[in-house]
Amino acid sequence: MDVKKKHEIEAALYKENQQISSGTLKEDNPLDSSENFRIFCEACRRGDLKVCQEMISTGVNINARDRFDYTPLILASLCGHYEVIRLLLENGALCERDTFQGERCLYNALNDRIRNLLLSYDYQKSTNPLQPLAAHITSLLGRDNPKTTDITIEAYGETFHLHKFLLAARSPYFARKLSSAPNTTSWKLPSSIPAASLAVALQYLYFMEVSLRRVTVGLGQEEEAIVLDGIHKISRQLEIPQLFECVTEVSDRRLLRQRRSEELDRGRDQVAAWFRDNILKNKMVVDTEKVKNVQWDRDNSIFADILLRADDDEEEDEPNDSNASPGPSESSTPPVRNTLGPLNGIPIGPMRSRSPSRHRQRRKSTLYPAHKAMLLRSEYFLTMFNSPFKEAHDTPHLHIVTVDCSPAVLETILTFMYTEKTDFGLDIAIDVLFAADQYFIEKLKQRAAIIISTLGNGSTSAVESENPRGEIDIDGDEAVDIYEILRAGWDTQVQRLEEFAARYIAYRLEQYVDEADFAELVKESARRVKARQETDTVELVDDIRYYLSERFRLRFEDSGLEELMDENAEVLANAAEDLSINEGSMHTKEDVQEFVPDIDAQIAAGAIRTLDGEIAGDEFAQDAINYQILLGKIDRLLENLDLDA
Amino acid sequence: MIAGRGRQRIRPPRRSVAGDDVDFEQTWTKISAAFTEIHTKNASRLSYEELYRLAYRVVLKKKGDELYKRVRQFEHNWLSTEVRSAIQALFSPNLLANTQGLGGTTANERRVAGERFLKGLKQAWTDHQVCMSMLADVLMYMDRVYCQDVRRLSIYTTAMLLFRDDILNSNTSEIDSRVVLALLNTVILDQIQMERDGDVIDKHLIKSCVYMLESLYDDEMESEDQRLYNVSFEHEFLATSSEFYRHESEFLLRDSDAGAYCKHASRRIYEEDERCRSTLAESTMPKIRKVVEDELIKNRIHELVEMESGVRFMIDNDRLDELNLIYDLNARVDDRKTELTRAIQKRIVDMGTDINNAAIAASQATPAAPAPEAGDKAKGPNQEKSLNQQTVAAIKWVEDVLQLKDKFDHIWKDSFQSDHSLQTAVTRSFADFINSPTFPRSSEYISLFIDENMKKGIKGKTEMEVDAVLDKAIILLRYVQDKDLFERYYKKHLCRRLLMNKSVSNEVEKQMISKMKIELGNNFTLKLEAMFKDMTISEELTSGFKKHVEGLGDKDPKRIELGINVLTSMTWPLESMGSGDDDENKRPKCNFPMALDRIKRGFEKYYNEKHSGRQLTWLANMGSADIKAVFPKVAQKDGSFKERRHDLNVSTYGMIILLLFNELPADQYMTFEEIHAQTNIPRNDLMRNLQSLAVAPKTRILIKEPMTKDVKSTDKFYFNEGFNGKFVKIRVGVVSTGNKVESDRERRETEKKNDDSRGFCIEAAVVRIMKQRKELAHQQLVLETLNQLAAQFKPEVTMIKKRIESLIEREYLERIEGARVDSYRYLA
Repeated sequence: MDVKKKHEIEAALYKENQQISSGTLKEDNPLDSSENFRIFCEACRRGDLKVCQEMISTGVNINARDRFDYTPLILASLCGHYEVIRLLLENGALCERDTFQGERCLYNALNDRIRNLLLSYDYQKSTNPLQPLAAHITSLLGRDNPKTTDITIEAYGETFHLHKFLLAARSPYFARKLSSAPNTTSWKLPSSIPAASLAVALQYLYFMEVSLRRVTVGLGQEEEAIVLDGIHKISRQLEIPQLFECVTEVSDRRLLRQRRSEELDRGRDQVAAWFRDNILKNKMVVDTEKVKNVQWDRDNSIFADILLRADDDEEEDEPNDSNASPGPSESSTPPVRNTLGPLNGIPIGPMRSRSPSRHRQRRKSTLYPAHKAMLLRSEYFLTMFNSPFKEAHDTPHLHIVTVDCSPAVLETILTFMYTEKTDFGLDIAIDVLFAADQYFIEKLKQRAAIIISTLGNGSTSAVESENPRGEIDIDGDEAVDIYEILRAGWDTQVQRLEEFAARYIAYRLEQYVDEADFAELVKESARRVKARQETDTVELVDDIRYYLSERFRLRFEDSGLEELMDENAEVLANAAEDLSINEGSMHTKEDVQEFVPDIDAQIAAGAIRTLDGEIAGDEFAQDAINYQILLGKIDRLLENLDLDA
Repeated sequence: MIAGRGRQRIRPPRRSVAGDDVDFEQTWTKISAAFTEIHTKNASRLSYEELYRLAYRVVLKKKGDELYKRVRQFEHNWLSTEVRSAIQALFSPNLLANTQGLGGTTANERRVAGERFLKGLKQAWTDHQVCMSMLADVLMYMDRVYCQDVRRLSIYTTAMLLFRDDILNSNTSEIDSRVVLALLNTVILDQIQMERDGDVIDKHLIKSCVYMLESLYDDEMESEDQRLYNVSFEHEFLATSSEFYRHESEFLLRDSDAGAYCKHASRRIYEEDERCRSTLAESTMPKIRKVVEDELIKNRIHELVEMESGVRFMIDNDRLDELNLIYDLNARVDDRKTELTRAIQKRIVDMGTDINNAAIAASQATPAAPAPEAGDKAKGPNQEKSLNQQTVAAIKWVEDVLQLKDKFDHIWKDSFQSDHSLQTAVTRSFADFINSPTFPRSSEYISLFIDENMKKGIKGKTEMEVDAVLDKAIILLRYVQDKDLFERYYKKHLCRRLLMNKSVSNEVEKQMISKMKIELGNNFTLKLEAMFKDMTISEELTSGFKKHVEGLGDKDPKRIELGINVLTSMTWPLESMGSGDDDENKRPKCNFPMALDRIKRGFEKYYNEKHSGRQLTWLANMGSADIKAVFPKVAQKDGSFKERRHDLNVSTYGMIILLLFNELPADQYMTFEEIHAQTNIPRNDLMRNLQSLAVAPKTRILIKEPMTKDVKSTDKFYFNEGFNGKFVKIRVGVVSTGNKVESDRERRETEKKNDDSRGFCIEAAVVRIMKQRKELAHQQLVLETLNQLAAQFKPEVTMIKKRIESLIEREYLERIEGARVDSYRYLA
C-alpha cells in the first residue's frame, strides 16, 4: 500500500485548514467534548460494540474528534477492533485517502486486515447512506408502472407526473397550496419560467443530484441565461432557496460531497418531518371487527393512496374468530406458543407482557395511511400493485392492506421506507427482521440483524476479554434467547446472525452444552446441511468449534504459552478420550490432574477447579483442560445424535 | 432513544413465526381454490396480501417442498384436463387428415382450420402465461427462498415446462399418437406454404405461436439452441424450404429467362427476410437466407450465367437492371463473385479481340480494295491512301476500345455497385486484349489517337471535353504494357506536332504531359518535357536573333526573317525525322542559296556567342518557308489576264528549289539531275518536294515534263507562269509530313530501335542490381530485372539473357565458377 509522504499530508492539512477557516469547507471532524462522545470514544477504544451501537443511535457525530484529536475510527483501528470498525464505517464514518485524518487512520491501523477494511470503505467508492432513499425517490420521476402519481404539471408541451406528498414535504409553497386544495390534480407553471428550469427544480425536489452543466449542455449563452433566470424564479416561488446554490458548479470533490450530503440530510429531514406530522398523526386505532367500516376517500388531505393495517397481538383468551374475515385472523395459529416442544424450558419473558400498555378486552387494529410510491421500495408491494389482484384495482375508497406484523413493527417499516431511519428497540428487532424478510426490504433486514447481533451481544467485549472461562453471568438476566436468534437467522437466511449465535454459544458453551435443546439445535443444523448437500459437516458445530478455539487460544497466545498449550493438548487429548469413554468418571479427572506439569503452581494456587469441579494445576492448565472437555462433550453429543462431523 | 431504555430483551418472534403450527392442508385448500379462480379469470376479487401471507407461512414452516410439489401437481392437472381437452376440441378431422398428406381439402379450408387451431393454442398459451405470472407473484417468497435454497427452477419456469410436456408433447387425440407440437409445426409450415403461393395469412397469429416456441426449451439448461423453436420447428422449416426452392429453381431455369429468374430470386430472398421479421424469428433469417441462396443461387449460378439469356445477352443488350440483379445474387453467395467475373472477363476479351481483328482487317483490307481503281494513279498515293486508311483504322480502334471501356464502366457503376474486385477483373481483361500478342500495335494506335486529337479533335471543344478526351487516352495508356514503345511513338508524333506547329493548343499538350507524369511517373515525361523546353528556348533565340539583326543597323529590304528551333539531339527523335535510309553521320548538307547562307552563318555566329562549344546541325528537311511569289501576266484558262501574287508556304527544300527558278528565264527548264546537283538535297526528299510542287494539282508551281505522277531523274521542270490559285495564301504540302501509321518497314525499324534501347535499359538495370548485390544467382537477377523494368516494359527473358552474356563479354560481370546454381559476380 502506498502511504502518503509526510510533507504531502502536511500540505493537504494546511490547505484544508485554510479552507475551513475561510469558511468554504465544513470541518469533517469538529471537536466534540460532550460526555456522550467521551463514552463513545471509550467504547471504541475498548471495542465495546454494544455501547458503540447505542451511542451511534443517540446521534453522536461519528466523525467528530476528541480533545486529543482522535476520531472514533482512528481509535478503533488503532486498538484493532475489527467489528467496531465495520460498524463505524457502515454508519458513515469517513476514511478518505488524501486527507489528513484519513491517512492517519490508515497509518494507525493495527494490522493489514483492518487497513484493507478501511480502504474498502474509502469514501470515493462508498455512497452516502441516504443514497438508496434518494435513488428510489428519483426513480419515481420516471416510473410509469404502477401509477402512483397524483398531480401533473404541464409546461410548454412537456408533462411531468408528480406526487403531491413529496411536493408538499419538500416545498413550503406546495405545502400551503395543496393543503388549501388537496384535490388539485394539476398545476400551471408561470409562463415566465422555461421547462428546463422546472425540470431542474423537480429533479432537485426528487433528490436528484442537479448540475447546471447537465441542464445547459448544448445551449447558447442567451438560452442559458434564461434557464438560469428561470431556476432563480422557480426556487423563489417554490421556496426552495438552496436550489440555486445546488446548481452552481463546484469542482472540489469534498465540497461537492459535503453539499450533497447536506442536501440529502435536509431532504430526508423534510420528508421525515412530513411523515411524522401527517402519516403518524393520522394513524387510527380501531377495533379489529370494525376495520372493514373504515373508509378513506381517495382525495384526502395527506394524499394517501393506501391504508396499511396492523393488528395488535391477540389476547390469550380471545376466541378463534374463524375465517370470517380474510385479513389478519390468526385462526390457524394457536395463540399460546410456550407449549411447543423445542422451546420448552427456555427462560424468556412472559408472553402477555409484550404489550403491557394496552390492556383491553377488544382487539385493536392500527391503520396507517401511506403512499404507494414509497411502499414500492419493497418488492412485495411493487408486485402487489403491479398484479391484477384486488389491491391493484382503483376503488373510490382506499384499500386496506393488512401487513402481517404488530403496529410497532409496521411503524418501524414505514419510518424506514420514508426516511431510511432504523432506530428501533431490541424488543421488536426479531419481528422487524421477519417482517423485512417477508416483504423483501433487504436493507431493513440487515439493520435488524446488526442491531440484534450488536445490542443482543450483551457484553461482547466482556465475553472476549474477560470471560475466557465462560463464567456464567450471575445476574441471570440473560437478554437473549439465543436459540430464537439462531432459528430466526436460519429462517431469514442471515449469515450474520448464525455467526453471532455460534460465537455467543461458544463463549458460554458450559451453559448450553448439556441442554436437550442444544442437542435439538445441532440436529436441526445438521438437517439443514443435509438439505443443501454441500458438505457433510454440521455448520453450527463447526462454527462453535471455531469460536471455542478462538476463545481459548486468545488466552494462550496472550500469555505466550503456546508451547505449553501444544504440550498440554497432546496430553489432554488422551485425557479427553478417556473422558469420553468413561463418561466423566472421577477416575479420569484424577488422571488429568496427574498430567498437569506444574505441580508447584498447583500447590501454590491452592484449589483451582476445572469444569468438572476438580482441582487443576493453574489457570492455564485449567483452560486447557476445559477446552478439551468442551470439545469432548461436543463430540459425544454428535455421537449420540448419530451425526458425522 | 434506545440507550435510555436500559437493559432490553430480545423478544421472540410473535405469533405465527414460531412453531409448526401451520395446517398445511387447510392452507393448501385455500390456495388451490384461489388458483382455480385465477385460472378461470376471477382474480380481481382475490386478495394478494392474503395469498402471499398463506404461501409465506407455509414456506417459513419448511413446507416449501410440499407446496412446490402441490403447485406443480395442480398445474399438471389443470393443463392435462381442462386445457388439453380444449385444444383437442380444435382438431377438426379436416386438419388431422391434411397433415397426413391426404388431399381433398382446398387451401382455404385448410387455412381456416389451421388458423382456428393456432388461435386456440395461442389463447391457451397466453392464458397460461398470465396465470403463471400471477401465481409466481403470489409464490414470490417460495421462489426467492425455497427454490433458491434447494436450487429448484422457479415455479414460473416449471409451469412453462409443464405446458411443454402436458400440451405440446401430448398426443393429438386418444387414438392418434402424433404430438401436438408436430401438428403445430405442420400447420405453420402449411400456412407459410400458402403465403409463398400468394395467399394472405394471419402473420401475427403465427408470430405469437413462434414466440411461444421460442420461450420454451427442450432441456433444462435453457441454452439458446435448445429452444423448442430451434429444436423442432426451425429444423423442419429449413428442410421444407430447401426442398421447395430446389423445385422452384429447376422449374424457373427451365421456363423463364435469366432476368426473370434473377428478379424472382431476389424477390424470394426479400420475402423470406420479411417473413422472418413478421412471422417467424429474426434469428432464423440468416439460416433461411442461406437455404434460399444455396438453392436459388449457389447451385444454379453457373447455369444462370451461361444461359442463353445470361450475362452475355444482358451485356449485349444493356440490361443494366438485370446485370445488377445477377451481381446482387452472385455477391450474396460468393464474395469474389467468381462466376460473374468469369463471364464478364470472357465477354470483354471476346469483344476486345473483335475490335483488334476489325482493326487488323481494316488496315489490311484497304490496300487491296482501292487497287482496281488505282489505274491512273501512281503507286505513291496509293500507298499513302492505305496509310491514311490505317490511321483511320487506328483511331477507330482506339475509339472502339474507349467505347467498350465506357460501356463496361457504365455497367460497373450502375449494375455492379462499383465493386472493387470486378473493377480489377475488368482492368485485367482490358489489359489482356490490348496487350494481346496477336495485336502489337496498341501503343502506336494510342499515340496516334492522341496525335489526331491534338491536331484536330479538340478544336472547338470546351476545357471539360478536352479533359475527358485526355483522360480516356490516359486510361488506355494504363493498360499498355510496353510503355517504352509508346514513349517512342509519342515522342515521334509530338516532335512532328511541335516542329510543324500542328498542335491546336500548347496548353493541352502540356496538360497531357502532366497527366502522363501523374500516371507514369517523372522518368517517363522527362524527355518530353525537355522537348517543350527546347521549343521555348528556341522562341527566345529567334526573337533574340531578330533583335540582334535589327541592331546591326543596315536595314536590308530583302532581309529574310529567320525562325529557328534548336533541338537537343538526345531528346528529339531525330533519326525518325531524317529520311530513314541515310546514315546518321552523313546527314546531308544541302546547299543553301547565298541569301540564306548568309543568314545561316549569322545565326551560327550569334548562337556560338551565347553558347560556346555547341555544334549546330541544320535540318533543312524539317523546316518551312514563306515566300512571296509573283506570277507574271499570262493568259489564264478562264481568260483573265493579270498579275497574281501568292504567299507560298513551302518546305525549306521547296524554297531552295523555287529559288533556283528565280534566276531562270521563264521558258528555261532544269532537269532533276541539275536540281539535285545544285542543291544537294537528298534524292528522296528532292523527289517528294518536286512531286508536291509539280504534280499536286492545286500547288502546281512547276511544270514537269513528262506529266506523270512519278518523278524520275530525267524529268524536266519549268516554272509555271500560268499558275493560278484560288487563295492568296497557298500551302504546298510535302507528301507524308503528317503522322501516319507506320508502314511495315517502318514498324520493323521502330521495333528494332526499340529493342536496342530496351537492351540498354536492361543492361543498365542489370548493372545497377549487380553493383548493389555484388553476387547474385541467375534466377534472382532475372527476377529483379523484371521488377525494375515493370514500369517501362516487359522484357523477354531471352533478351535479358543476351544482355547478361554481352555484359560478361565486356567484363562487367563474370560467372562464378563452381556455384551450385548459375551465379554472377560484379566486376568493379
